[in-house]
Amino acid sequence: MLNASLGTIGVWLAFAASVVGAVVIAVGLVRQRHAPTTRPRHATEGLAAVSNGRLFAPVMLIGAVLALIAMERALVTHDFSIVYVAENNSKVTPLLYSITGLWSALAGSILLWGFVLTAFAGIFVWRYRKVAADPVIRWATLVLYVVTAFFFGMMTDPANPFVTTHDVLAGLGPNSLLQDNPLVAIHPPLLYVGFVGFTVPFAFAIGMLATGRIGDRWQIECRRWTLVSFTFLSVGIVLGAWWSYQVLGWGGFWGWDPVENAALLPWLCGTAYLHSVLVQERRGLMRVWNLSLSVATFALTILGTFLTRSGVINSVHAFSESSLGPILIGFFFLVVVVGFGLIAWRGDRLRSPGGIDAPLGREGAFLLNNLLFVGFAFVVLLGTLYPILYQAVTQQDVNVAAPFFNTVAVPVGLALLFLMAVAPALSWRKISATVLWQRLAIPVWVGVLTVVLCVAFGLRGFGALVGFGLGAFAAATATRSLVLSVRATRVRHVGWWRGLIGRTNGGMVVHLGVIVMAVGIIAATTYRHQTELALHHGQVVTYDGHRFEFVGLRNVAIPSKTSDEALVDVDGAVFAPAITSFGGSLATVGTPAIDSGAFGDVYLTFDQVGGLGTTSGSPPIPNLPAGSVAIGVVIEPLLAWLWAGGLLVGLGGLLALAPGSRRRATDPVSAPSTMVTGAGPHPEPGQRDAADDGWPALEPAGANVSVPSGVPVESGAPSA
Amino acid sequence: MPERSSRAPLGLRIGLPLAVLAVALVIGSGVLSGRPQTQAQRAAAIESVVRCPSCIDVSVAQSEESTAIAVRHEIERQVAQRRSTAQIEQTLVDQYGPTILLEPPGFPFIWIVPIVLGTGAIGVIGVLFWRRSRQFTATRVAQTTADSA
Amino acid sequence: MTTQRRRRHTTRWVAGGVLLCLAIVGVVLATRTPQEATAVDSPLVGHMAPSFGGANIQHSNGTPVSLRALRGHYVFVNFFASWCGPCQQEEPDFITFFYQNAPKDNADFVSVVFHDEIASAEGFLKSQGATWAAVNDPGGTIAQDYGVTSPPTTYLIDPTGKITVEPEIGPATEADLQKMLERARSSVRRGSGGTGA
Repeated sequence: MLNASLGTIGVWLAFAASVVGAVVIAVGLVRQRHAPTTRPRHATEGLAAVSNGRLFAPVMLIGAVLALIAMERALVTHDFSIVYVAENNSKVTPLLYSITGLWSALAGSILLWGFVLTAFAGIFVWRYRKVAADPVIRWATLVLYVVTAFFFGMMTDPANPFVTTHDVLAGLGPNSLLQDNPLVAIHPPLLYVGFVGFTVPFAFAIGMLATGRIGDRWQIECRRWTLVSFTFLSVGIVLGAWWSYQVLGWGGFWGWDPVENAALLPWLCGTAYLHSVLVQERRGLMRVWNLSLSVATFALTILGTFLTRSGVINSVHAFSESSLGPILIGFFFLVVVVGFGLIAWRGDRLRSPGGIDAPLGREGAFLLNNLLFVGFAFVVLLGTLYPILYQAVTQQDVNVAAPFFNTVAVPVGLALLFLMAVAPALSWRKISATVLWQRLAIPVWVGVLTVVLCVAFGLRGFGALVGFGLGAFAAATATRSLVLSVRATRVRHVGWWRGLIGRTNGGMVVHLGVIVMAVGIIAATTYRHQTELALHHGQVVTYDGHRFEFVGLRNVAIPSKTSDEALVDVDGAVFAPAITSFGGSLATVGTPAIDSGAFGDVYLTFDQVGGLGTTSGSPPIPNLPAGSVAIGVVIEPLLAWLWAGGLLVGLGGLLALAPGSRRRATDPVSAPSTMVTGAGPHPEPGQRDAADDGWPALEPAGANVSVPSGVPVESGAPSA
Repeated sequence: MPERSSRAPLGLRIGLPLAVLAVALVIGSGVLSGRPQTQAQRAAAIESVVRCPSCIDVSVAQSEESTAIAVRHEIERQVAQRRSTAQIEQTLVDQYGPTILLEPPGFPFIWIVPIVLGTGAIGVIGVLFWRRSRQFTATRVAQTTADSA
Repeated sequence: MTTQRRRRHTTRWVAGGVLLCLAIVGVVLATRTPQEATAVDSPLVGHMAPSFGGANIQHSNGTPVSLRALRGHYVFVNFFASWCGPCQQEEPDFITFFYQNAPKDNADFVSVVFHDEIASAEGFLKSQGATWAAVNDPGGTIAQDYGVTSPPTTYLIDPTGKITVEPEIGPATEADLQKMLERARSSVRRGSGGTGA
């Protein structure tokens, strides 16, 4: 009972703190509006209100931590007095899967969401403590508190994780698929940090719209928060794909499942935002795009939560259905109305002076990039919601699945590869064809020669060849950019590794990661071979260049699971695809075994044991003799490149977060957009990394510059 | 950058790799060695749009569940009987309902939006560039007349 | 000047349009009921039941089972497998229903093995105490004709050989079976009354 009480106290504490904090800040904002700031008395009052509002964030965090500890303790000690533990844990569940039980089902996952949210709110409040009086920060804090209040409010009643019960002696244990693989410990937390992190840019956007302070300074702050969320979400999604691949048994890694799409949609908008905010930093353009993208990204995370938890769409990955549907869609509605309503209200004043000058320039490329990402996100959203909308209109059920999404994804993917290949070489404002060709000649030849080599080696398929060619082209452009950046460090007399960190260079590493993933996806899907092998003991079969030998059967029984394994020797190493049942359950799941290599994966499933009498239905291999097994084999070339590419994306994100080559936070990045300088060479990408538009820094100048000691700081004008 | 007079004109320098690419793609796409679609290929194409009955999101081509295998046998049997794709799909829909297909049956309304969006995006970019390019040349012309004046 | 004034409203219109679309989507989503596996409509309702037949696996020397021979009765066709947990769960209810209601309601039971070893399926039925006819389904064609995606699934065929009620997908309780029978009977009554045949 202690755990339940502790947990409930924690939830209510966080809920109360967020509600009261929101009210306090709201009151402070109202007071500030009605009192001119010249009057010192009201100013101090306002300040006090803000301070009090800020203090609620740590209280929320304490409440969340309390609830988290209570639930984990209950899971680890198998405290079945809590219904959630009874349904998702059992006495034989191993420690790791007890801990991950926190997020294995609905109510617990909301608790995790709430905890991450309070952590973000705490970091936010601490980071901006010195500028807490700024109206944008106050509005943003208010928004964070309101969102926290919503999630903890859900946990007080409809999604209460601490509902108690009596006389339950044995727990049901987690879902079989959730105790099959240790990735359950990493994927959900990373994904949630990614999702929840998008609350902060949304809060900023609301703050900027509400106060009318839509200048570039806060948008730039927003970018760093979005970059953090983007990095976690990217790695989280890739790990999710890897986990599905290892567990679900059909050799695929992405099914365009509604829950998968729910994670992809905010990622697409977040990525579009990260690119288009660069245009705002440099030229002050695309303000409406950026604000809309911040709102859209957060709204999509709420919609994603709804799709995953409402039971409205059938999915392998969904949590069980619940009554949360209308509540979540109501919140989604609220977010959309407030966000887009504010944008519509401010409409006229948001547009920036200046525009896109010339057809061939980086701004145009970023605009096209935005259109591609947002358009693709819209089509994926449409495809995901189509069955529901269709059913609402015609009362008939239809499916929209992989064929539709893949058909749309291919041209969009190729177009994005092309943009990745060309845009880094474009200059801001305008560039002549001659200069562009000078920069791109080598990458273009690299791409063309790659296609020629592929054809020479016998690879066929128009889409795949174009994909490989564009991938090589884009990789060459990104490498060129990094090489130039490293070369520039020599001119500036700083360490060569500085050419790899910072916004642009980190971005190029992310691009390389995406390209590696794209090549892996193209190869694994276009040149995939699948078959069913009937193997009897000691028989050697060759398929697609690999050697298979059935070594024997083995039964492994431990308290938490029983597996029947088929030992198969693949090219010298033994793998054990199995049929597993968990706890005392009769239901079995297939446990695949994977031989992963740099050039391809061999994916094995144990499909059938021989010697069965007459069967009804269609076994994979009819009349399989006793002592034989049917092993499903899927050969997927370059599949491991997906995971390697995902790792590169994560690495690139971290590199991009590291402070770049700016010497002072107040270094101007370029001439203000109303002035046309025209003179002087355009800076090469990578040499110029300052991201501040000259407004007062958050902290005293020099505080957030990490100049390695002993290296002389170059004084005077920047070299570019 | 100083102009190198020995360099080939820009058009040729860009055109050459594109020509090589075009040749490679024509060979690589297999249009030259085109063969009519075999029955197996036709069956595989249909199998990729039919859902494995006891799964979610997975096609019968990819799944080794016994329900999927049974449906594959059925499709292959009907392909051998030279029935049309629409007829084969209709048989399956009569047995399992419209959710057996991975795409909406009948007229694909779902494609209207992507096609409209695609053409719209191309249109927007095209119009934008055309207008800007006209403005750009107009500014250039104005500048040269101002300089020469 | 005029260009600027024209442009000024674009943001408002676009934002308003996006808001409207999302609001409609939100309303539709909010009014959906959670989908369960049982919500899928069977395309067979209102049509003749696909015929099937075969040897009775419970009495291998007895008369073969044929759906046609059972015309004139209400026939419950139950697809099951020994590896399926919910099938174990529902079997006792079937037994009770079979012995108590079936004789007075003129109802028959036929079980069809769904993708399972015959020996295991037979063992399952015997251990549960189910003595009615059970048929093998080689190649899974019967299951396919009926559009069965996973066991247990129970169909009810009325005396004319038509399926008039939605099948029960998932474990069926005694009350479920009774309800199916009631609904089938009322639709037969409606049919014959209406045409005045």
